[in-house]
Amino acid sequence: MPLIPWLGLDHICFKVTLFSTEMRDKLRKWREDNFRNSEQIVDVGEELISEHGSKLGDDIWIIYEQVMIAALDCSRDDLALTCLQELRKQFPDSHRVKRLSGMRLEALERYDEANKHYDAILQEDPTNTAARKRKISILKAQGKSTEAIRELNEYLEQFVGDQEAWHELSELYINEHDYGKAAFCLEELMMTNPHNHLYCEQYAEVKYTQGGLENLELSRKYFAQALRLNNRNMRALFGLYMSASHIAASPKVSAKVKKDNMKYASWAASQINRAYKLAGRGTKENKCSVKAVEEMLESMQITMS
Amino acid sequence: MGEVELSCRAYVKMYLHACLFPRCSINGLLLSSSSAGGAVCVTDCVPLLHSHLPLAPITQLALTQVDVWCSQTQQRIVGYYQANACVSDSSPTPCALKIADKIAEQFDSAVLLMLDGSKMSPDYRVPPIVMYERKDSRWTLKDKHMIMLRQWEETRAIAGQMMESGDHMQLVDFDTHLDDITKDWTNQKLNTKIAELASPANGNI
Repeated sequence: MPLIPWLGLDHICFKVTLFSTEMRDKLRKWREDNFRNSEQIVDVGEELISEHGSKLGDDIWIIYEQVMIAALDCSRDDLALTCLQELRKQFPDSHRVKRLSGMRLEALERYDEANKHYDAILQEDPTNTAARKRKISILKAQGKSTEAIRELNEYLEQFVGDQEAWHELSELYINEHDYGKAAFCLEELMMTNPHNHLYCEQYAEVKYTQGGLENLELSRKYFAQALRLNNRNMRALFGLYMSASHIAASPKVSAKVKKDNMKYASWAASQINRAYKLAGRGTKENKCSVKAVEEMLESMQITMS
Repeated sequence: MGEVELSCRAYVKMYLHACLFPRCSINGLLLSSSSAGGAVCVTDCVPLLHSHLPLAPITQLALTQVDVWCSQTQQRIVGYYQANACVSDSSPTPCALKIADKIAEQFDSAVLLMLDGSKMSPDYRVPPIVMYERKDSRWTLKDKHMIMLRQWEETRAIAGQMMESGDHMQLVDFDTHLDDITKDWTNQKLNTKIAELASPANGNI
């Protein structure tokens, strides 16, 4: 995982006095939702372990794991090592713990040693997906995007249902400006997650970036779809406005297409205005944004007609 | 090419932006409220994105909105900054060059600023920035001696202090604004706090 050792963010101002049950519940929720709020996890987890460790029963092991990973993310090697040592004592031959040892080595940028750990796991258990994914993360951390992409493609041939992997691959492709392949990954994700507005919206953004009339029309359709799934998605709303405006302004479209897209753009503009007026009420803060959006929409209207 | 001056406010907000998203690539725009001609004075910045930097729609939208805001507030866009997620590589990405090119179309002396993550730890005493300028249609490294940060020690102290007290959590970039449009991407609150901490000599240019 890309770790930035310089950032000594070991304590944010997050002073919470919670009961141990509340702390436990928070950690569980963050675990289930897979949040990467590492600073908070370290804050809550460290206190829970040191003050209330005896009350946790068997839960303590999964908490050690969660806190250890968060500690690595915050450059808290002291805390990470403490958690790791407890886990090693309790589960001496575990692949799961070996993977955590590997992650600590990654955090210390000792990538060759980390890879040896993962290779050892894969020798004993070739289906261990966690170890394979860590190896790919190392490639990414080292800036070896091409290799990471290749390995991830190979991985997905075997584990075709791994959503997280498809999304990671789409991100890698976007960073390499390979929008066609990024779109393919997002199509996979949309197929298996038809109600996820974020995938639709990201797909639309990729299509828009690819450019050309056909891609713009696709992008407009998918921005609209994202809005149908979540009518508060502002990116989708702006995206609909921009794609429809560009299509309407194109000299290559028929009068009907032009008229239709002007209607979509106009609808989107009114929705945007409405959303910003609602947001602007009561708060002095974002008056700037409200005015900027108003003027922007006005100026774009002029260029369209 | 001429001198570039970087104000306390611009530096601190860029720094806090990088601190808020240490695991992502981030970018933003550099603004100036000074009149054209002579040294380029970067008086402010607008943090833009922390995800999908190469994708076009939100970048276009942000550029347009910031442009409009600038004309309403007598400022202009004079440059672009970026910090890469991968700390070991602080060179400009293709998307950085593209956006900087666009800015240079409207402003000849535009600057491209890369934040060097590997030099942002507390023990580094020099500004962790690498600046590029446009010469013969290419972005080339700017002479370090032409880059000025007035009251650098104080600016550095302010940035560190605000990070320690968690102020970076209040920073709003354009991405954050789109998640919740009641949030202010001009960051007036942070501007006020920075002004309070800075001595008069370090104030707005």
